[in-house]
Amino acid sequence: MFEDFRQQFYLNFVSEDRWHYLANGLLVTLKLTFFAVLLGLLIGFTIAFIRNVHDNTGKLKILNFICNLYLTVIRGTPVVVQLMIIYFVIFGSVRIDKALTAILAFGINSGAYQAEIFRSGIQSIPRGQMEAGRSLGFSYFQTMTKIIMPQALKNVIPTLLNEVITLLKETSVAGYIALEDLTKGGDIIRSRTYSAFMPLIAVGLIYLVMVLILERFVKMIERRLNKNDKR
Amino acid sequence: MTNVKESPLISVRNLEKHFGDMKVLKGITVDINKGDVVCVIGPSGSGKSTFLRCLNRLDEPTGGEIIFDGVNICDPKTDIDLHRQKMGMVFQQFNLFPHMSIMKNLTIAPMTLQNKSKEEAEGYAYELLERVGLKNRALDYPLQLSGGQQQRIAIVRALCMKPEVMLFDEPTSALDPEMVGEVLEVMKELAQEHMTMVVVTHEMGFAREVASRVMFLDGGDFLEENEPKEFFANPKNDRLKEFLGKVL
Repeated sequence: MFEDFRQQFYLNFVSEDRWHYLANGLLVTLKLTFFAVLLGLLIGFTIAFIRNVHDNTGKLKILNFICNLYLTVIRGTPVVVQLMIIYFVIFGSVRIDKALTAILAFGINSGAYQAEIFRSGIQSIPRGQMEAGRSLGFSYFQTMTKIIMPQALKNVIPTLLNEVITLLKETSVAGYIALEDLTKGGDIIRSRTYSAFMPLIAVGLIYLVMVLILERFVKMIERRLNKNDKR
Repeated sequence: MTNVKESPLISVRNLEKHFGDMKVLKGITVDINKGDVVCVIGPSGSGKSTFLRCLNRLDEPTGGEIIFDGVNICDPKTDIDLHRQKMGMVFQQFNLFPHMSIMKNLTIAPMTLQNKSKEEAEGYAYELLERVGLKNRALDYPLQLSGGQQQRIAIVRALCMKPEVMLFDEPTSALDPEMVGEVLEVMKELAQEHMTMVVVTHEMGFAREVASRVMFLDGGDFLEENEPKEFFANPKNDRLKEFLGKVL
């Protein structure tokens, strides 16, 4: 039994340096998640800002319409489909870097969800804060950036980190455009060794460990934020 | 030289405010002179707060005009942000910025909007903090303070901009009873220094003692105005009589 396990382990990970598939795949997954989150942050923040300006002042009608359309489409369709459309349809005739395409797709996808997170964060700040800022003579924009946003950001950090966790797991569909991320790496090993158990369990364990680390990080941040709050 | 006393600091002409079909203010006309301490009283829903919030356009008037410092601030071309710097406002819920220290709360507006240096802004803030007895709390955060302390800080925050008029929107209504006194005391001192003040309040004692003029607002219009002694001793309007009968 133990000998069998050892053999399997050797076959799947050690021989022909197959663990490289997992290691390289892990790096791709991490890179993908990191840059997609950044792109999503940028998109999400911008959209939340535009929609908030529109809700409060009635300006930016066209931009607001575009934002709403974007949110509806992105949140109403599966991320795999979006990924494939971007790779096979939009960039169908130009061969651009797969990783870049994936970052774009996951970033655009995550942006829609992060926009909602930011929006709820902004809405959680009492009206009185905006009024106090304006009454001192700050413009709407100044009040937003100096008073509302810093508080909103602080409120949404835990939720944003949860979005990172979700995104980390969602990038596992990157294999659909033949990008060799962690999941695909495990799958490649499986196709070489014809044994499913070892590589897939290993892939699952690696995701699990990363999520657990991130979750611990979220808890730590939450505790620190609450401490600084002094409420 | 024209007589300064003759041109009011704030001149409200025919001020109207509708929320949809509801007329909250029905053409209010009133002058507020430099050094006036105007207390606005009236039943809830009478439009007191709306009137006050229209003065710095936190609520947008739907008609009429407000001349402040010789400028019609209801004109869309007026830079309202610039005029708000000269009108301090104190809210029922204090509305301090919870993510900033007290000192930052007090200095952010003068430093950003009036280009004061940090030293200058903090120096003035300390001076005012000393006067309200909270100098030792400068580095604390708002939520570490009691309600009464927070409201005193809110008054100081508005004063740090060196405003020409202070607007108070029921400044003691959200306070525990034992903290009302300390806030009213600060307001009283301010009145004694001839700060122009418009105070929406339910504190009849304060109105009687400190106000130079008391106004009764009901149904969206001022029904009676007088100096406080006469106002409370000999009310003429029936609605005012009824109101005073309930609250005194």
